[in-house]
Amino acid sequence: MTGVRIIVDGLTKSFGSVRAVQGLSFTVEPGVVTGFLGPNGAGKTTTLRMLLGLVHPDAGTATIDGRSYSELARPARTVGAALDANAFHPARSGRDHLRAYCVVNGFTRARVDEVLDQVGLAGAASRAVKGYSLGMRQRLALATALLGDPEVFVLDEPANGLDPEGIVWMRNLLRETADRGRTVLVSSHLLWEIQQVVDQVVILSNGRLAHQGALAGLADGYDSLEQAFFALTRGR
Amino acid sequence: MGRLVAGELTKVATTRLWLWLLLAAMALTALYAGLNIAFADDPQNFAPHLSTAQGQRLLVAIAATPATTFVAVLAAVGVTGEYRHGTATTTFLATPHRSRVLGAKLAVYSGAGLAYAAACLAVVVVLGVPWLSSMGIDFALGSNGLPQAMVGVLAAGVAFGLLGVALGALLREQVATVVGLLVYRFVAEPIVTSIPALDEWTRYLPGPAASGLTGSTLEIRSFLEPWQGGLVLAGYVVVLVVAGVRATRRRDVT
Repeated sequence: MTGVRIIVDGLTKSFGSVRAVQGLSFTVEPGVVTGFLGPNGAGKTTTLRMLLGLVHPDAGTATIDGRSYSELARPARTVGAALDANAFHPARSGRDHLRAYCVVNGFTRARVDEVLDQVGLAGAASRAVKGYSLGMRQRLALATALLGDPEVFVLDEPANGLDPEGIVWMRNLLRETADRGRTVLVSSHLLWEIQQVVDQVVILSNGRLAHQGALAGLADGYDSLEQAFFALTRGR
Repeated sequence: MGRLVAGELTKVATTRLWLWLLLAAMALTALYAGLNIAFADDPQNFAPHLSTAQGQRLLVAIAATPATTFVAVLAAVGVTGEYRHGTATTTFLATPHRSRVLGAKLAVYSGAGLAYAAACLAVVVVLGVPWLSSMGIDFALGSNGLPQAMVGVLAAGVAFGLLGVALGALLREQVATVVGLLVYRFVAEPIVTSIPALDEWTRYLPGPAASGLTGSTLEIRSFLEPWQGGLVLAGYVVVLVVAGVRATRRRDVT
């Protein structure tokens, strides 16, 4: 397996007078878990949505395996994304949500039950999503991302709403996925949620790159990892 | 494209809205047709009598307004719901070429328009044939221009399914689109078309154009010829679909 690299180059996006992302460049390598960190409003979600062709950048490019998302031949087989734990029709059951996505992508029906088992949602699959807790929705979003058994995982705040057990389960999933040579980009505004599992960090502050590198050396010269994070994202 | 259409069909089939709106359309058709037949002999009724070909064509055409309005609502909800519930993200991740998603929705909801129109026509026939027969009137479905009227109703159903998709794609806001559609069809259009002086212009509106398509004629106001009505509706569809596709492609999905 060769591995898929994500390259973000000079991404810039404004919403009205708000400069969400400015000249952002970084690289995400396969085989490691890359944490995409920054305080609320730093531009993480906008960046991920530009990477996936949902938001049109004002300038710059983002490529996956050398192509923009819309140029990928089989996007859902290449990239599995979980961007929003509330993006479900409330009256549709979890299983039906996955089924519709399966049909569109031409995945086999059997994948639906496989991913439901994988995320531990099999028991609730026939119920309408409106009865799900935030943690269960988060698991359903992850199940959607897993359907295509993709090479690249892009997850936006996947730990939100998960119980401690769920967070441990998610960390293990990310670790195993990266160990199989796949690419994992996971955002969080809470460093402690993912610091046990990330190898590399891309830290964003006010829409700009504040730091990119290995997590290992991040705390050098600071009292703690948290102090380093605050120092890098403060006052920019 | 086949997979995309199948996926959109799955989305429609996995919530109940299509059924409730279909039942509403059929119930309203039954009400309109029932009133029309019950008051057929009323001396104050200005409509042509049901014993005439003209009157029977109007009875068949009654199915058009409920079918077209409710299928347009269904279609608009099918598009705007993707934004309201955030499922547009998942949808466009699966199919980054957004115009193909709209294409699949157009296919599905034009089919729904055909089905809604057929169901409402069935209501008119099931109600009308025995009732008119009991009044000594022959409701001969194969003559009096009734087959053409039925084809007109079916075509109008298809057109409004397409219009609903396009309007939803253009406006994106679910409540505004649905309320706007209902107010337009059930309040605004009836009011402006009741003003005889505006007849020359209002017959080009979508609803009256659909009436023209079904071959409706009245002494008190004029409608377009069927082919003209069809052309006018097709014009609305083309303009709105093009605008809807453009808006969908340009928009940021946040």
